[in-house]
Amino acid sequence: MVRGAGRGGRGIPGRGGMGRPPFSRPRVLMLRPPFDLILAEPAFPRCKPAPDDAALTQALLKRHAELCPTPTEQSAVLSIVTKLQTVLDNLVVAPGDFAACQLEEVRQVGSYKKGTMMAGKNVADIVVIMKTLPTKEAVEGLSNKVNEELNKLMRAEGLGNVSSTCHERGFTVTAATAAVRVLVTTLHQNLRKLEPEVHLDYKVISSHLAAIRHSRWFEENAHHSSIKVLIRLLRDMCARHSGLEPLTPWMIDLLAHHCIMNNPARQALPINVAFRRSLSLLAGGLFLPGCAGLPDPCEAAHSRAHTALDLAAQDHAAATAQTLLRVVARGGHRYVLGLQAFEGGKDISTEITVWDGVVVSPLAPAYHDSPEPMDTEDKDDDGIQDGVAA
Amino acid sequence: MMAANNYFGFTHGGTQYGAATASAAYGGQTGYAVAPAATAATYGTQRAAATGYDTAYQAAAATQGNLHAAHAHAHAAAAAASAYDASKSAYYQQAAAAYPTAAPPQPQPAYDTTAKPAYSTPATYAQGGARGSGGAKPAYGSVYTATTAAASYPSQPYTAPAAQPAKQTANRGNSAYDTALYNAASMYVAQQKTGGGGSGWKNYNKSGVGATPQRRPKPQPKAQQLHYCDVCRISCAGPQTYKEHLEGQKHKKKEAAVKVAAAGGAAGARACGASALRCELCDVTCTGADAYAAHVRGIKHQKVVKLHTMLGKPIPSTEPTKLTPAKKTVAGAPKVSFVASGGLSTVGASSSVPRPADKEDEKVEEEDEPEVQPVGQDYIEEIRGDDGKALSFNCKLCDCKFNDPNAKEMHMKGRRHRLQYKKKVQPDLEVKVKPSMHQRKLAEAKAQRMLVRDELWARRRMHEAGEDDERAYWEGADWWRGPHHHHHHQGMGMGYGPVGRRPETSDDRHVLAKHAEIYPPEQQLQEIQRAVSHTEKALKSLSDALADHARPKNQAGKAVIKTEDKKDDKPEGKEDGRDNQLFSFVGEGEAAPASGDGAGAGGAGGAPVGGPGVRALKGVMRVGLLAKGLLLRGDRDVRLVVLCHDRPTVTLLKRVANDLPHHLNKVKGPNEDAKYKVELQPAEGAVQVSDGTVNVVVSLTSAVMREPAEGGDIKRDDKDVLPRQKCLDALAALRHAKWFQARAASLQSCVIIIRIMRDLCRRIPNWTPLNPYAMELLVSGVMQSASGALSPGEALRRVMEALAGGLILEHGPGLRDPCEKELVDALGNMPAQKREDLTASAQQFLRQIAFRQINKVLDMEPLPKVKHASGGWKFPRKRRRSNTDADQDTHNGDGKVVKTEEKADVSEINSNAKK
Repeated sequence: MVRGAGRGGRGIPGRGGMGRPPFSRPRVLMLRPPFDLILAEPAFPRCKPAPDDAALTQALLKRHAELCPTPTEQSAVLSIVTKLQTVLDNLVVAPGDFAACQLEEVRQVGSYKKGTMMAGKNVADIVVIMKTLPTKEAVEGLSNKVNEELNKLMRAEGLGNVSSTCHERGFTVTAATAAVRVLVTTLHQNLRKLEPEVHLDYKVISSHLAAIRHSRWFEENAHHSSIKVLIRLLRDMCARHSGLEPLTPWMIDLLAHHCIMNNPARQALPINVAFRRSLSLLAGGLFLPGCAGLPDPCEAAHSRAHTALDLAAQDHAAATAQTLLRVVARGGHRYVLGLQAFEGGKDISTEITVWDGVVVSPLAPAYHDSPEPMDTEDKDDDGIQDGVAA
Repeated sequence: MMAANNYFGFTHGGTQYGAATASAAYGGQTGYAVAPAATAATYGTQRAAATGYDTAYQAAAATQGNLHAAHAHAHAAAAAASAYDASKSAYYQQAAAAYPTAAPPQPQPAYDTTAKPAYSTPATYAQGGARGSGGAKPAYGSVYTATTAAASYPSQPYTAPAAQPAKQTANRGNSAYDTALYNAASMYVAQQKTGGGGSGWKNYNKSGVGATPQRRPKPQPKAQQLHYCDVCRISCAGPQTYKEHLEGQKHKKKEAAVKVAAAGGAAGARACGASALRCELCDVTCTGADAYAAHVRGIKHQKVVKLHTMLGKPIPSTEPTKLTPAKKTVAGAPKVSFVASGGLSTVGASSSVPRPADKEDEKVEEEDEPEVQPVGQDYIEEIRGDDGKALSFNCKLCDCKFNDPNAKEMHMKGRRHRLQYKKKVQPDLEVKVKPSMHQRKLAEAKAQRMLVRDELWARRRMHEAGEDDERAYWEGADWWRGPHHHHHHQGMGMGYGPVGRRPETSDDRHVLAKHAEIYPPEQQLQEIQRAVSHTEKALKSLSDALADHARPKNQAGKAVIKTEDKKDDKPEGKEDGRDNQLFSFVGEGEAAPASGDGAGAGGAGGAPVGGPGVRALKGVMRVGLLAKGLLLRGDRDVRLVVLCHDRPTVTLLKRVANDLPHHLNKVKGPNEDAKYKVELQPAEGAVQVSDGTVNVVVSLTSAVMREPAEGGDIKRDDKDVLPRQKCLDALAALRHAKWFQARAASLQSCVIIIRIMRDLCRRIPNWTPLNPYAMELLVSGVMQSASGALSPGEALRRVMEALAGGLILEHGPGLRDPCEKELVDALGNMPAQKREDLTASAQQFLRQIAFRQINKVLDMEPLPKVKHASGGWKFPRKRRRSNTDADQDTHNGDGKVVKTEEKADVSEINSNAKK
């Protein structure tokens, strides 16, 4: 609703109410931010001694150390990224007889660029902006060309071969220990010329353009190490809990940035506070419909980061975070962080757990995939009862 | 004429091949002497002649099996060519053979007279004779055309270029023969004309005259031979159609165009297509070499070539192509292979003339070449047959198929393909656009419109911004004016009063509907009001009585007067505690001494009990639900707190309990039938006044109770003094009521939400542990922390957000009690499991609110959507509080606004669902 992506640049004014046209006024609902304890500090002054969070802090730092890629991994990725960048740069500067497509620009994006790579996931991302339109043939041609050139380079250095496989986002160049995803996109002005059956998907293309904006924003705003630490921890946490899996890296980036930096003092918060805050915000409905959520700094005004999730996913993510919040509050952070496997790898957010005699139970989904969510249906059996049971 | 004809056939042979061949030809003629008999016999009628000829010819050529005109022609030509190529003598035989067949029946004199002038022009002859020198051929061509013009096309403007091209075509073949052939044909036609009247033309066609040098002396050489229009390059079926054609619009247009072109010279032609290739023969302009090649291969061109060949007209080939003329002609007219013999000495010389032009054109073409690089090879897939041979090609960009590799090549260079390529692959590809005047005008108009519109938007935006600010200002004022006047009036006003003209969301409507449902009915409020009021008055009366007892000696009279005064002053003074403030029993006269100890909570401790001028009961105040205006439907219990001067004792309490009924009856109106029952509750430190439906609990307390334990003092009173904790609770209740009135009641939506939450706590076991005061603190804190005013729906959601976010979990900050000096957590005593359950429940509720199931949270039926949207747009505004707001069915047409909000919400849900 507030996403605004659909109405950029068409001459339609961004704001509503153009001289009161009687219909089709773009509705810009200014949504409220959720309750945020850090920002609501004056209304809720602390009246208890602050909890001893040393254990949590230690656990967070330990887990982060585990999640950081090793120097070997880093150098493997660096090596292939550098070569690939060279190859692509050559194609930009001097395409020679390469005619499958014309390249405008090559940029590194994603976790590699941001410095938030995780151990064991040696995949870097490079976005290639084509001057020509990204047809599947062009991608294939580029893939073959890159493969060929890269193999030449690798042979020259006596390294193993690389292979390249195409997919709907571009292609992936895989070497022995690392891989690079080459994400194909095109110039902005070409976007509306895309046709679904000829070219790569519009959404994919524009998401790649967005990835460029994201890494740029990240470089400028989120270079604080605490943010990167929190991003790794959150990404790892999200990957291990089914409900939080749909959260995109970009949402996690924004969330981590918000949790660390957005406080009255504008100073980075300690990692334990920020971690609790992120869970608390998610549980408090930051990513639920009707909430202002986190404004996406890389999209048009009023667009919210979490609207990329569908409703069921939003509900599920919130419910999972709510359960995890209560688990962490009971001292179960080791399980949430993944330092300790829960009962043989079960998802702790879906299990009933007992902590010092306090029972923590997961929550039922609130979202029903019915055409009329407002209409009378079994309001008694899962409305209040769920609340009671939970 | 026979001589002339002979001359042709003969001279050719003579000059070119020498006398030997010529004689051979004659030999052939004699050899053919058999045939004439047959032919001559059949030549009586025209038709017979034609068929006769055919048969004869078939015999001669030994290949013909087909009577069809075109085929006959083609085969004849082919046969002739092969015959010619193979052996000269055969050719001459053939020619000669034809000759005699025609000759005998023809009326010689007529032929002579007509034919001679045509061919006996000195120039013609001279050229013919000079042909041996090689340079004669072009000239010859022109002569021959001149002849034809004279003979058959008197009306046609025969343009010079037409003659020029003849060179090129002719120089490849044996033009002499060509001419002979042509002449023979025309002669034949002429013969048929003269001999057979009007029907000759058809016969001519049928018999495939083109290759037939069948002569007949014709009586009227001027007669129309072939109805060929040179301008339009078509032939007509008959004189009639020919005439019609000449008069036709199309023809005239073309004629005019030709004239203009001739006047403007070649420049005009070039201008119209700098890179274009032109087929002079058909007068067709092609956009490229490929298109030209295709044209040349095409049936239309073939037809014209055929026609021209048939007529013996030169086949022009000045086309600016790289192809050699010879090749072109081969490609163009393989059947007329008599022109294909390149063995003539004249070729080199004659072709040297057009070279410069060729080169020039080549240059032009080379310049164009880079532009028509074929593009998009990758997008053309070959469809291969079983044997792996490419059967056809499919262009994925343009979605079309070709069977021919040439066509594919052409397609790849073609404009349409390039446009598709530009559109789908390479947006910056240059495709020549030739915008017509019309298109350009359209584009200009569009640009103009865009400009105007942008300007308009910009202007409106500026205007709108100003308007919005203003509106926000007024709305803000409106908004803040609203909340103040409910809830702390008489403790029970209509709480959900003016919500102004804010748009209301579905959540708001639900919350307000629920609020209306739980709000106490008027009758209940009145009952409570009456009971409380009577109790207060009775307490006052009691206090007065006690005061009288306390100073019986000197101040009794004064006190009585005071009491009377007070009763008289009723209308103006305070009659009970309905403003929810302390209802002081102290009269005006005693104000000075009393206010010092009484009204001030931290009053002077240690004042002697029953000291002079001091009342034991200083005042009464409403506390709890009553004071805060939080009564709900069904609430029967209200609390009053009586402040005593000193520690309230059991004795005092008993006294109050005993005396109160009397005073109650006193203050009760005569016609009020309420029966009050007073009950002593020493354990609670209170008396309960009950009229059957309403219970008023009157607690006794004193500010002195807060004093730190004073050792002996307390011990001394220990037995008699009311339970300390109860007294402190009553004091706290006093402070809470004051805090509430000062802080919470002024927050927008706060009282509504606290009522809703009270209802929630009553209904749901998980919420019961949340004590009312803590809940009030929580809600007010949540409201206070919001940056702006909240609508009821938003407020409820925010409360849930706070709880769901773990506000009351162990690591949270706790709820600080503002009514205590020390840091006290208002929720400090809540067990962990309760906190956990409460949080979990709030989390569930939050998600239900988010997914439009607020009715489940509130335990109510979902409200129907508001139906009409008219006027929704009348309130465009900044929506600070977007999607929560509830309808309140009674209010000034706000429902209208709601609908649009509703719609927006639905669309949000939908759009989210899509994402």
